[in-house]
Amino acid sequence: MKLFDPHIHMSSRTTADYEAMAAAGIAAIVEPAFWLGQPRTHVGTFEDYFASLLGWEPFRASQFGIRHFCTLALNPKEANDERVADGVLALLPRYLGKDGVVAVGEIGYDEQTPAEDRRFAEQLELARRFDLPALVHTPHRDKKRGTERSLALVREARFPEERVLIDHNNEETLPLVLATGCFAGHSIYPNSKMDEPRMAALVRRYGVERIIINSAADWGVSDPLKVPKTVAVMREQGIAETDIETVVWRNPVAFFAQSGRLALDDAGTAADSFEGNSVRRG
Amino acid sequence: MSDAAATLAAALDAVAADTAPALLRGASVDATARFDPTAFEMTFGAAGRRLGTAAVGGDAMLADGAGHQWSFAGWGRDEVGRGLLVLRGIARLPDDEHVGWLDGLHRAGGMRERQAILRVLALLPHPERFLAIALDACRTSTQPVFEAIACENPYPAAHFPEPSFNQMVLKAVFTGVALARILDLDRRRTPELARMAGDYAAERRAAGRSVPADLARLTDP
Repeated sequence: MKLFDPHIHMSSRTTADYEAMAAAGIAAIVEPAFWLGQPRTHVGTFEDYFASLLGWEPFRASQFGIRHFCTLALNPKEANDERVADGVLALLPRYLGKDGVVAVGEIGYDEQTPAEDRRFAEQLELARRFDLPALVHTPHRDKKRGTERSLALVREARFPEERVLIDHNNEETLPLVLATGCFAGHSIYPNSKMDEPRMAALVRRYGVERIIINSAADWGVSDPLKVPKTVAVMREQGIAETDIETVVWRNPVAFFAQSGRLALDDAGTAADSFEGNSVRRG
Repeated sequence: MSDAAATLAAALDAVAADTAPALLRGASVDATARFDPTAFEMTFGAAGRRLGTAAVGGDAMLADGAGHQWSFAGWGRDEVGRGLLVLRGIARLPDDEHVGWLDGLHRAGGMRERQAILRVLALLPHPERFLAIALDACRTSTQPVFEAIACENPYPAAHFPEPSFNQMVLKAVFTGVALARILDLDRRRTPELARMAGDYAAERRAAGRSVPADLARLTDP
């Protein structure tokens, strides 16, 4: 079974991770632009970061036979940093049309400030303009409220819900997301967010439609093999192979193929559609 | 259209009919359009998914102002398309904006966009002005970008100062690139390059490692 980790920050990981991921069956990944653990104070560092997500990391991944895609955005935390926010917003149109960019993200809320409201809404408009789906981070603190606000903002913006992936869900937020047309991501973590047995329980309870899992592995305590480890637990719990495959391959492919840029074949052209879920845009 | 641009456009049309006119129109660099840098960058960025990365093939040759000729059969279709756009785009700008424009396009470029820019450097007006971009590409660890400047490309032999050229050749050996892929290498062989290659061979032997056969190309008189 081919696996897709649709949220992993490889810039923070080693080549040994790439090797282990490939050996565990991970064939494709999406690396969202995000917070680097400490503040960036110059817009230029984002240019170099985006260049890395569009060149260096895809090359590193290719050495291990893994297809690398990215999402680009000003992340929610740095939406509050006036030193960079305007500059990065001005920079994004230059990058969002490029090959390999399969969504605008991570956008959304961190502390749920007015500045975050504004940048979230502005970047949804960018996603609309560039015909891209949106990847929405949900906050660690006051998560349920943050998820409700995210869904409300998407609705108010009249952004198509099937083109939104609300990420980092838990038992409390998943039903809220499934009540909309949005996809629901789950980050399987060693100590926080979501773990493998809880994830398997969610799949048994809610089924697999629009359900996605990822490792969200980064520079913190995290594990780039959480997708294959969750597959193993789902299998142990008797979840059907075809359902597992939907969660770890068909759903993320269907979601990101809506960009028209998810080139999974060797000729390097984007898949025209996957199970009728997408059209070529572009 | 310059000879090189016409050659690339013909090669593109041979593998994907009528692609070149549509690309040029989208990028606002066809005969009638007013040049719009934003439209250019959008089309330049999207060219990969329109064209794919399969090698373009064919037996057509490119030629620079100094009379060098080389094949571009190994370029991806996207590289041919983007290379064509760069040639046509730069022709729309005043001379004193060429370097700044291409530098910005390169800095914001993804991996394959950078490759395309590097492959056509030698075909641009006064190519010596773009040396900084070429040298930057030699410092990369993204191997396809390094190979785009070092291999099947007349630019380094024509324009690199000796220390930079020698470093590029050594890096090619280090990264397993066949030296036959470096154009005009023999013309740029020097005693210093032979010494560097000899030292590298000695270093490999001292470490109990094999010596790349290609090094003989540099050390043999």
